[in-house]
Amino acid sequence: MKKLIGCLAIAGLAAGAAVAASGEADYQAGMKALASKDFSNALGRLEAALAAEPDSIRFGSEYRQAVIQAKEYDRCIKFFEKLTADSPAASNGFLNYGFAYVDKIPASGAITQVILANTALSFFTKSIDIKPSWIALYTRGNSYLYWPKIFGRAHLGVADLEKAMAMQKSQGGKKSYHSRAFVSLGDGYWKMENIEKAKATWKEGLALFPDHSGLKARLSKDGDDLKSYIDDVLDPNKRVDTNLIEIWTN
Amino acid sequence: MKTGGPKISAAAALLVTAGLGAAVLSERWFEDITVKAGVAMKHTNRVFENPYAHIMAGYTALGASVAVADYDGDGFDDMFVTDSSASGKNHLYHNNGNLTFTDVGEAAGVANGNDPKNASADSLWFDFNNDGRPDLFVARFGQNQLFENLGSGKFKEVTIAAGLKRYMNSITAIAFDYDRDGYADLFAGNYFQPVDLFNPATPRFFPESFETANNGGGVTVFRNNGNSTFTDVSLKVGIKISGWTLDLGHGDLDNDGDEDLYVAADFGTDRLFANNGDGTFTDKTESTLGIDTKKGMNVDIADFDNDGMLDIYVTNITDDYMREGNFLWHNDGNMAFSDVARETGTYDTGWGWGAKFFDYDNDGWLDLYVMNGWVSAGKDSYVPDIFAMVIKPGLDFADARNWPPMGSKSLSGYQKKRLFHNERGQIFKDQAARHGLDSTRDGRGMGVADFDNDGRLDIFVANANGEPYLYRNTIPTAARWVSFLLEGTKSNRGAIGTQLRLTSGGKTHLRYVSGGNSFAGQSSARVHFGLADTAAIDKVEIRWPSGATQTLAGITADKIYKVVEGDSKKAVLTAKASRK
Repeated sequence: MKKLIGCLAIAGLAAGAAVAASGEADYQAGMKALASKDFSNALGRLEAALAAEPDSIRFGSEYRQAVIQAKEYDRCIKFFEKLTADSPAASNGFLNYGFAYVDKIPASGAITQVILANTALSFFTKSIDIKPSWIALYTRGNSYLYWPKIFGRAHLGVADLEKAMAMQKSQGGKKSYHSRAFVSLGDGYWKMENIEKAKATWKEGLALFPDHSGLKARLSKDGDDLKSYIDDVLDPNKRVDTNLIEIWTN
Repeated sequence: MKTGGPKISAAAALLVTAGLGAAVLSERWFEDITVKAGVAMKHTNRVFENPYAHIMAGYTALGASVAVADYDGDGFDDMFVTDSSASGKNHLYHNNGNLTFTDVGEAAGVANGNDPKNASADSLWFDFNNDGRPDLFVARFGQNQLFENLGSGKFKEVTIAAGLKRYMNSITAIAFDYDRDGYADLFAGNYFQPVDLFNPATPRFFPESFETANNGGGVTVFRNNGNSTFTDVSLKVGIKISGWTLDLGHGDLDNDGDEDLYVAADFGTDRLFANNGDGTFTDKTESTLGIDTKKGMNVDIADFDNDGMLDIYVTNITDDYMREGNFLWHNDGNMAFSDVARETGTYDTGWGWGAKFFDYDNDGWLDLYVMNGWVSAGKDSYVPDIFAMVIKPGLDFADARNWPPMGSKSLSGYQKKRLFHNERGQIFKDQAARHGLDSTRDGRGMGVADFDNDGRLDIFVANANGEPYLYRNTIPTAARWVSFLLEGTKSNRGAIGTQLRLTSGGKTHLRYVSGGNSFAGQSSARVHFGLADTAAIDKVEIRWPSGATQTLAGITADKIYKVVEGDSKKAVLTAKASRK
């Protein structure tokens, strides 16, 4: 019996390796089709790549970017629903599932936007429950900041972003995407009306990323100017850049 | 940007010099005369008495409306103002000619618009029988009313005889002669579906969706048969919709000589119907505006940029929790429209209601006044409650029992009204605070008229569950103006839909007779032109709904003219038409 299990395990590993290889092949084919605007083929191949590697942050992100171009938001949501059901341990699968809802927000009405944003949060939470990664904490924390003040969610965003910040500091090394945590955490403090802490956070970020235009802009503004700048950044009608390319290229 | 700029009177200048703080007074061009004019009667929302009353209360803070007409032909515009409480009387404010009014509603027989089974929601004057006297239609939650103006200050209810008695739950109404047969037809916009709201047989009478609801009352088109009766021709003419209509607007959007129809819908898609010229309409929404999911509240139609084509202003909901933005549909010609609300600064007013284009400073550019705010009550907000419902998966929104009661909470309350000054058709700048027009009562509709015939347009504001405002326009500039009161002969007698193109100083301005555009408000039937500092009027071209055209010459500024279709003579209105 043990031998059989061992054989099955080996067979499984081999199959996994084969699938992983076909994941990359499908990904490459999908990206090629996307470049030629063959959306149907592109989405199909990228879905196949993700089916092979459901936890791939890269495949998931590129697939969603293709979906945005093709405006196939519902197909994307359906796909991730099945993918995460089939692979319930795929933390990044849930992360991308949440992003699939975020991607649909600008194409939706004001009330649907709220429903989509709220659903996205539930999948970001699932991703954190499985694996509290920097990207998942940053993403959920940043998402909370889009909610109007009346919903009282800014403190939840700050809590997540503080964790992400602690994580990036403890990990050492400077990644370009770390600047995002300084921006968002500062925004979170600003939303909680702690202007001093907000400015200190943006300043700390600017010291590390002296060319960061968003940090510079925030630090150059006060009062209503700063409010309209941040309101504009957090406008739900504007498409949020959910491309995660920085994660795997840094 | 006014031509010549405001000219402060010598007296005001002296006060400024004397440092008496009069600078503020001279800058304020509207005076609140509500109380001294005798029109301060409060509007009260209907309180329903049924199992869903506590929920309905949050969604029926409506019914404050005003409709302006000179019902007795004495040369001064009067007002009909609705209340909505079960015991509340509607008011017919007769203009005494000296900026005071007398409520003659009871004596005239038009005061009883509210009872346990009906709540007044809107009102409309239109001369349905072409006898030269404006008749009165009252849109109601429940059944509507039509009153025939008998003259001598008396009215007779003719709802049944006219064929209009039925459950409709109307919230708005406009009139125009869609088939150009010489009689004004009636378009009723209905909010709830035609159920008995006062004793609902089912709890499923609320909107099924926040963005695509199609279980409302839609629009009913009543063709005027020309014999004081009406026939429901909605399907026949191609108006088959069942959204939650909040407002209707008409205008010749494609300049083809007939009136087109814009439908503003709450909880769903606004609709634009092009008049085919053969007594039918075609839904052109997708090709002209696209499908929206916003909460359309108001339609007003006017040429805001003086390019000779009619544009459309629609209010929606814009607040921290819902950033829909209003629409200002710029008419690009050939039934193509672009939304320029953001560029013109008219995008975000709050939870918008009635809005009206009018030239308050007579500079030749149409300004815009916008009512805002839903329910101003306690300090707690209803927003979290409603969104807690919204995010529950699979909830049946049509079931009123699933909606949280608003209780004493506020929703987009205490919002300021906006008075947008038109800066030469490019951008609008809010001047409401400067002129004291930024009240935070829950505004619904407004009526604009020159109540004292002094050439300056005054404003009546109807607020839900609150006292109204009557603002007298005291603009101190010497800007010139001219007004026209029109009477059709081949066309409908009220001349609804008649276009006037006035050329002065090398510029041509388009205005037309509206049959009640703007939510919960009907403004004067007179067509008013601001002329800035130009006294010379080159010509006025009139295009009547019948298709007849007429050109007026020898028109001089600062007068009110009466013009009859086909009659080359024009008369200066006998009422005093001079500035006090």
